[in-house]
Amino acid sequence: MNLQRIGTVAWKEWRETIRDRMFVLLAFLLPILWMMVFGYGLVQDVEDIPFGVVDRDQSSLSRDYLYRFFESRYFSFQGYVSDEKQAEALLQRGKIRVAIIVPEKFEERLSQGQSVGIQTLIDGTFPLRTDIVKGYLIAINSAFSGERLVGHLSRRNGVSVEQAEMQTHPVKTEVRYLYNEEVRSTWSMVPALVMFTLMVSSPLLTALGIVREKETGSIYNIYSSTVTRFEYLAGKLLPYVMISSVNAVFLWIIATRWFEVPFKGNLPFFLAASLVFVLSSTGIGLVVSLLVRTQIAALVITMVASMLPTILFSGLIVPVSSLSRGSQMQAHLFPGMYYTNIVRGAFLKGVGVEVLWIDVLALAVYAFILRSVGYRLFTKRPRS
Amino acid sequence: MTSTRPALQGLIVWWRRLSVMTRKEMLQLSRDLPIGLLLLYSFTLAVYIAGNGIRSQLQNASMLVQDNDQSFSSRELIHKFRPPFFRLEGEINDPQEGLRALDRGQAMAVLEIPPRFHEQLTTGEPTAVQLLVDTTNAAQGLSAASYAVRIVAQFEQDTVLARLRGADTSSQNLPVVVSEHRVWYNPEQKDAWFESVSHLLRQITIFAILLPAAALVREKERGTVEQLLVSPLTPFQIMLPKVLAMTIVIVCATAVALFGIMRPAFGVPIRGSMLLFFICTALFVFSTAGMGLAAATVTRNQAQVGMLTLLVVAPMMLLSGLVAPMEALPPWTRHLMMLSPLRYFIDIANGILLKGSDLSIIWEPVLAMVVLGGGLFGFGMWRFRRQFD
Repeated sequence: MNLQRIGTVAWKEWRETIRDRMFVLLAFLLPILWMMVFGYGLVQDVEDIPFGVVDRDQSSLSRDYLYRFFESRYFSFQGYVSDEKQAEALLQRGKIRVAIIVPEKFEERLSQGQSVGIQTLIDGTFPLRTDIVKGYLIAINSAFSGERLVGHLSRRNGVSVEQAEMQTHPVKTEVRYLYNEEVRSTWSMVPALVMFTLMVSSPLLTALGIVREKETGSIYNIYSSTVTRFEYLAGKLLPYVMISSVNAVFLWIIATRWFEVPFKGNLPFFLAASLVFVLSSTGIGLVVSLLVRTQIAALVITMVASMLPTILFSGLIVPVSSLSRGSQMQAHLFPGMYYTNIVRGAFLKGVGVEVLWIDVLALAVYAFILRSVGYRLFTKRPRS
Repeated sequence: MTSTRPALQGLIVWWRRLSVMTRKEMLQLSRDLPIGLLLLYSFTLAVYIAGNGIRSQLQNASMLVQDNDQSFSSRELIHKFRPPFFRLEGEINDPQEGLRALDRGQAMAVLEIPPRFHEQLTTGEPTAVQLLVDTTNAAQGLSAASYAVRIVAQFEQDTVLARLRGADTSSQNLPVVVSEHRVWYNPEQKDAWFESVSHLLRQITIFAILLPAAALVREKERGTVEQLLVSPLTPFQIMLPKVLAMTIVIVCATAVALFGIMRPAFGVPIRGSMLLFFICTALFVFSTAGMGLAAATVTRNQAQVGMLTLLVVAPMMLLSGLVAPMEALPPWTRHLMMLSPLRYFIDIANGILLKGSDLSIIWEPVLAMVVLGGGLFGFGMWRFRRQFD
């Protein structure tokens, strides 16, 4: 091993990379732009769900009941509908997602102390949305029921409203939200986006850079030179590791300064862990680049191999513990999951090495395996 | 007669050129083995994994319980926290233990039941259970909290109603609103339907943008595009076959995914017209390919086009309504995504497959997609002409 030769290869690679202005621009611009777009765009609070109403009762109580939906920020009223048929048509067109049907004798039955069934039609194409909508509906209904019940009991049993309330609502649930006390979607998304951005952009950068040399044929100069395999790979990867590390720092600055996400952990530890992560994500690019011959193949494969598993299995959106067993196994095969633990831990939980050492170790092992595979696959005497 | 014959001949020549060029593109694509394997994987195994593995709803949220009462009531409440929403990971005795587990991500929630819980319940004293929720993933944390509150409320209601009815059998009825939900189109709320369709759409998008873009830029890079330009082909005849070839390949792959995986494995229904679905898929690929070609004309090599399409593809995939529902996104994102053909295709695909919509219902998104695709393709053509004429 000769450090000077590694340096030369790295320098050559660096020169080659920065000569392509657009590539350099995109290499730095892409992570920042993504972070901005997703940080603002991927807010997952479901609000303003469009809904329609069939009010068969048309009483003051039914209006009082429906008013709770009109006022709620979770729902957005689209208008009254004459009958169920019309509601169906609107659901099918996607103009509304929920139809609430208030039956006849709504007021009459309730004031007589009888229960009333409120029918709701929910668009089930998007299970997550359906689930959230159901939750909101039940919450509004039970709040309404609770009030009616309290009034009813205090009148019937001749007790005060407070007493009746205690009778009907004896168990409180005190919820404490930890780590992200105000449950801001931005706070949970932005740190994970640091992971997503690095996970997708750095393998791509690396793969394209290496395959470019193969496709243009300039790699034959390397084959015939005195540079060893190890020196070549080390030097070749260095600029990409550097670019990605610089991006990691940029992303950290955007997250903490622009989005004002608290950083409760230890910064040196986080940066060191990020370097380990970058080493493993560029490793993916390296392996892909050695398996393919054309840049198009490198591009498509890196994208499919890094972007989709990262969206699906890294804990970005769905926590790994909620995945099925097979998907959990897949999640453990990609570095994204470990780094998600690290970013969320370092940003929001304020934990450090004592908890996250296992994730860093997994990333290090990953980086090492990918580099060994890369070293095996790369040969200076290609068959064809 | 004499005037129609040259026109007819022209058409035949045009048609021949088109088919020859399309065959050339197909051949070029088929020679790239890694791409072929990837196509196969993406439209079969990947769709299966996504449909099988991803659950967008709260599922198996790991939960620890600190039961300070150890009574009949507390155990009854604990047993209401069960799959599919919650998974009990065990009991703890020390609050610190719960916090540590949350720190390590071993549990998502900790439920604490106070001492004298049963006693308070039976005597009618107010009581409170405490729930600690990890909200590093805000959406999931909120969802877990809301389910937990619902479970406790249900438990409470059952106890209260039992007590009220027990005390006074004359009033079987109480003035409460009973929620009766009917979920349409996917009544059992099978995530596999939504996730496998979504995943298919994601794969189609990636390939529809990348394959034509990369194919065009490769010709630019190698200089073979000059050969094409000195041939009697018009720029349109060079661009169109690229898109056509990719469209054919992707539509075939979609059919494989739909009939080979999604129907047999998950029972995804095709309630609308199958023909309409495939026509719309072809239109979508065409529109999106226009986007890729436009990107290819502003870049000089494959590395650049890769980065540029990534810039476009990732926002499209995450913000068009596959990951987070459209309603959940801020207004500016919704407006921006009017430019994403995928946004319309999601409505179309779900409409045809799950809702059984026909063209009279989904004509709006179809029209929007066609106009958008036409515009993008036109822009790509215009750039391409300007570059080489």
